[in-house]
Amino acid sequence: MQQQKMVDHLFRHQYGKMVSILTRIFGLKHLETIEDAVQDTFVTALRTWQNGLPENPEAWLTAAAKNRALDLFRKLSAEQARIPKLDNGPSAIALNELFLESEIADSQLRMIFAACHPELKPQDQIAFALKTISGFSQKEIAASLLLKEETVKKRLVRARKNIIESQLQFEFPAGTDLVPRHNRVLEVLYLIFNEGFHSTQQAFLVREDLCAEAMRLCKMLLQNEHTRTPSTHALFALMCFNLARLNSKIDHNQQVVSLKHQDRSLWDNQLIQVGHFHMSLAVETNTLTAYHYEAAISAEHASAKTWQQTNWPNILHWYEQLNVVQPSPLIALNRAVIYVELKEFETAKVILESVSVSELEQREYLYHGLWAEYHHKKGDKQKALLAIDKALALVTNQAERVYLEGKKAKYTT
Amino acid sequence: MKDFMLVIIGDSYADLNLSPEQIQERMGKWFAWTEKMKAQGVYQGGNALTDTIKRVSGPDRVVTDRASTEVKELIGGFYLVKARDFDHAVEIAQDYPDYDLDGTIEIREIMHY
Repeated sequence: MQQQKMVDHLFRHQYGKMVSILTRIFGLKHLETIEDAVQDTFVTALRTWQNGLPENPEAWLTAAAKNRALDLFRKLSAEQARIPKLDNGPSAIALNELFLESEIADSQLRMIFAACHPELKPQDQIAFALKTISGFSQKEIAASLLLKEETVKKRLVRARKNIIESQLQFEFPAGTDLVPRHNRVLEVLYLIFNEGFHSTQQAFLVREDLCAEAMRLCKMLLQNEHTRTPSTHALFALMCFNLARLNSKIDHNQQVVSLKHQDRSLWDNQLIQVGHFHMSLAVETNTLTAYHYEAAISAEHASAKTWQQTNWPNILHWYEQLNVVQPSPLIALNRAVIYVELKEFETAKVILESVSVSELEQREYLYHGLWAEYHHKKGDKQKALLAIDKALALVTNQAERVYLEGKKAKYTT
Repeated sequence: MKDFMLVIIGDSYADLNLSPEQIQERMGKWFAWTEKMKAQGVYQGGNALTDTIKRVSGPDRVVTDRASTEVKELIGGFYLVKARDFDHAVEIAQDYPDYDLDGTIEIREIMHY
């Protein structure tokens, strides 16, 4: 027999599909029962496939999901819960239609919108989305978000409880609801992506998984006419430009490499091209969002052959625009970084002094790190060391600490 | 060559709370093991067993249902293999994927008359 290979993450993705389809049939209030049932299907697959893959694993799983739907129907009607009739007649035909590709995509979109529903607390939305749409286990969510498993469990329980209490409907938002709800979906995907992209934890694969999931879900939005908006294209472009550079962010010793020192030959040019393509679709509008500007900044970096060839004036311009649509002290910090790099110390100083440090919260170390670089570049060793020590006193992330210590060593010599 | 049965003993997968990703990964290891046995020409057959257990025992043929969770050493499946001797069978059993989940392989030689 020829050795067959399963598509990567097939089960994880299939889990999200199956849960979404079954939720469309039975409603969000039965979500827990549905998730257990889908989990069972995979356990069964694991055992029955031990001697070899079925011809089409995906079709096998879909057929199993259909059988699950019927099992669930029996189980829930035995419990006398109010559930739709689907044992015979026209509704049985409808059941089959729900397993068509286009309807599966629709069910999954509904699940994404349910996960990002304003009735759920923002921090619960991410955990819930990863569990229900992306098939992550509690443990995997905890590992990828750097949380305790107990915390993740609490969030999931609270999300399910909110869904039942507020009698959330498994529907695609319509009318004036669509835009704000869609915006929140984009925000959640952006956050999931950034959890993967900006975390510097050792488990490299987990980070990539989060980024890939955020992109997969974003792609789903791009496949539907109602959610295929310029801002969705912009967010997708941003993800492409950033992900293209992921491999060079950490070196073989698991150390963080700053953009300046990254090996640009490791960047994924194909992905950068995909990013440019989506960017061209993203700008077909008069309303540019923060995603547009962030993507534009990332595109400038991705297009620069070397650090020295970076188009700083363009990037500064995008940062200024970004600051208009979404003011943040981090943007000021980023602008200051560029002026320090360009050795325009006076401007850098004015910007740095205007930053309200307390707003930076756990990122305050970045502020002191930048002052250190400022003084170092100006040749003031003593002040550079004072500032870097302030940064080191505040930093909590291990990889970032190592990075700052490397800088300190450089200043000392 | 002699005939052996590899008896697979371990917790039911249903009780282990594996994530879809872990299940897929584990399945890959099962395939690899089966493929290797087939390639070496030692594989004779095998199957997984469901978790439903019925026991018939005693002179009265009393039928009892046992839940898989109450059974200490749950048999999850078996393989039939050809091996030179017990040592060779032990070698074949090295690739069983569930040692990390406290699984066990019990090797028994099939008696021929």
